Amino acid sequence: MEFVNPEGLRLDGRRPMEMRQLRAQIGAVAKADGSAVFEMGNTKVIAAVYGPREVQNRSQQINDQALVRCEYSMANFSTGDRRRKPKGDRRSTEISLVIRQTMEECILTNLMPRSQIDIYVQVLQADGGTRSACINAATLALADAGIPMRDLVTSCSAGFLNSTPLLDLNYIEDSAGGPDVTVGILPKLDKVTLLQMDAKLPIDTFENVMQLAVEGCKAIANYIREVSDSFAREYQTAGVSTWLVVHKKGIRAHIQAPNPCLVIVGLSVVKSSLETCCIYRSCHLLSEFNSVNLLKS
Amino acid sequence: MVGLSLGEKHFIQGGIDQNLRSDGRKRDAYRPISIETGVIPQANGSARIRIGATEVIASVKAELGRPNALQPDKGKVAIFVDCSPVAEPMFEGRGGEELSTELSVALQRCLLGGKSGAGAGIDLSSLIVAEGKICWDLYIDGLVISSDGNLLDALGAAIKAALSNTGIPRVQVAAGASGDEQPEVDISDEEFLQFDTSGVPVIVTLTKVGRHYIVDATSEEESQMSSAVSVSISRKGHICGLSKRGSAGLHPSVISDMISVARHISEQLINKLDSEISAAEADEDEM
Repeated sequence: MEFVNPEGLRLDGRRPMEMRQLRAQIGAVAKADGSAVFEMGNTKVIAAVYGPREVQNRSQQINDQALVRCEYSMANFSTGDRRRKPKGDRRSTEISLVIRQTMEECILTNLMPRSQIDIYVQVLQADGGTRSACINAATLALADAGIPMRDLVTSCSAGFLNSTPLLDLNYIEDSAGGPDVTVGILPKLDKVTLLQMDAKLPIDTFENVMQLAVEGCKAIANYIREVSDSFAREYQTAGVSTWLVVHKKGIRAHIQAPNPCLVIVGLSVVKSSLETCCIYRSCHLLSEFNSVNLLKS
Repeated sequence: MVGLSLGEKHFIQGGIDQNLRSDGRKRDAYRPISIETGVIPQANGSARIRIGATEVIASVKAELGRPNALQPDKGKVAIFVDCSPVAEPMFEGRGGEELSTELSVALQRCLLGGKSGAGAGIDLSSLIVAEGKICWDLYIDGLVISSDGNLLDALGAAIKAALSNTGIPRVQVAAGASGDEQPEVDISDEEFLQFDTSGVPVIVTLTKVGRHYIVDATSEEESQMSSAVSVSISRKGHICGLSKRGSAGLHPSVISDMISVARHISEQLINKLDSEISAAEADEDEM
């Protein structure tokens, strides 16, 4: 099959080194601490981050760093022909593991000992490159949740078909049987954190293909930084201040709290409830949490 | 999971007693509803609906299949719901299965009618291509993206919107196949048939908290419920299905009272949904 026509265009009309259109949106899930939707062409994933919070299963608690967990799931309607798959099949377990390891690498887990961060990614539409899209979505969601990170990890894939290196494979190109190199990088530190390839490739060609994928990652990193910066600006100009409704035995009181803030009742930190609420959003480091008020219950 | 202190519980219950809920709504008021159609291009029809912080996606996929031998003149419809862990960490792994099944069964009961297929909101005989041989199988998938209570109503509305967004390809059946042979079919790429969704009911859930009942409960309010009654009502005001959740018993007179209130509310909801759906379709056409 011809994947690159004589004019040098791919099946979907792209040039070999062209990426699909990127689209990202921060804050898609209201109840999550951080969330984002990331689209690469027709591939669309949604990521949500819950935490840092108390470890749910005590036996998994780590005393000197945060526990990072990840679950990847695909919607029934995400693929071309409808399939109903059992949860936790081998493919999704593997991808969950890959995403977890990649994100764990960039989160400053040592700042949040004895806590847990959950990353959930849900594929809404799969058209190749779901792994990369999931990592990019997870990065944005972690940034939205205000979790301290070394850098914003980004990921992109590249392949080699019709003796041409191709950036950002779609489903048809991905299932053509050629090599598929998925790379994840820390763009500022200039380090590779994820590298996977199937099928075989001569070493010197591999270097080219990998270089192409790295370039793709860098382009995505620029885009992600743009999105998160414009989101942060919007957030600041909106001047979000939150009215907390505090209730004690029938007395209703309003307290205006600056954002970010953390309200502590008694000795326990209670989140997202009516009595007290703390806003983790836009806190970049735990030390930045500004405990405005100590309310004795 | 909602963890509430005693004070918060009293606050919610007190608000409902005074007809002023925590978010400023009255007992019979919905949160703002917004609908977007055609969100999943690979499906025959799809819609995303937001009710406050609750967000669900419904998609409709049509596949050619064989009708059931007992009902050769009817197509088949199946409804599945999936609760994504994105919505709630509790749904991780198999955690969402129980709720997913509960919602799927309730939706089936509310939208598909009995075993005979009679009284279904979707006209099953319109899904027949060649009687006894070929029919359309509709797979309706719901996905919960963000959960803040009232999931059943949201899913019902999303399915209604997705169905009105659905185009089923026109199928030509080659003549000449006789007996048990499967006839050859030609699926058109251009001509699509629209569904008549005017008969698809809406679901109104009334949640009983204390002595009163409320519509469109948030998850905090749902945690305080004693029982909830979901009524599916068509545009004509017919009750198409009913299910009661929660362990507390209800007096029969309360139930009939709830049904009549639900009927009254459903009129407003149907009008609201119809205008949102047509606005969403118009938006999609513009794109």
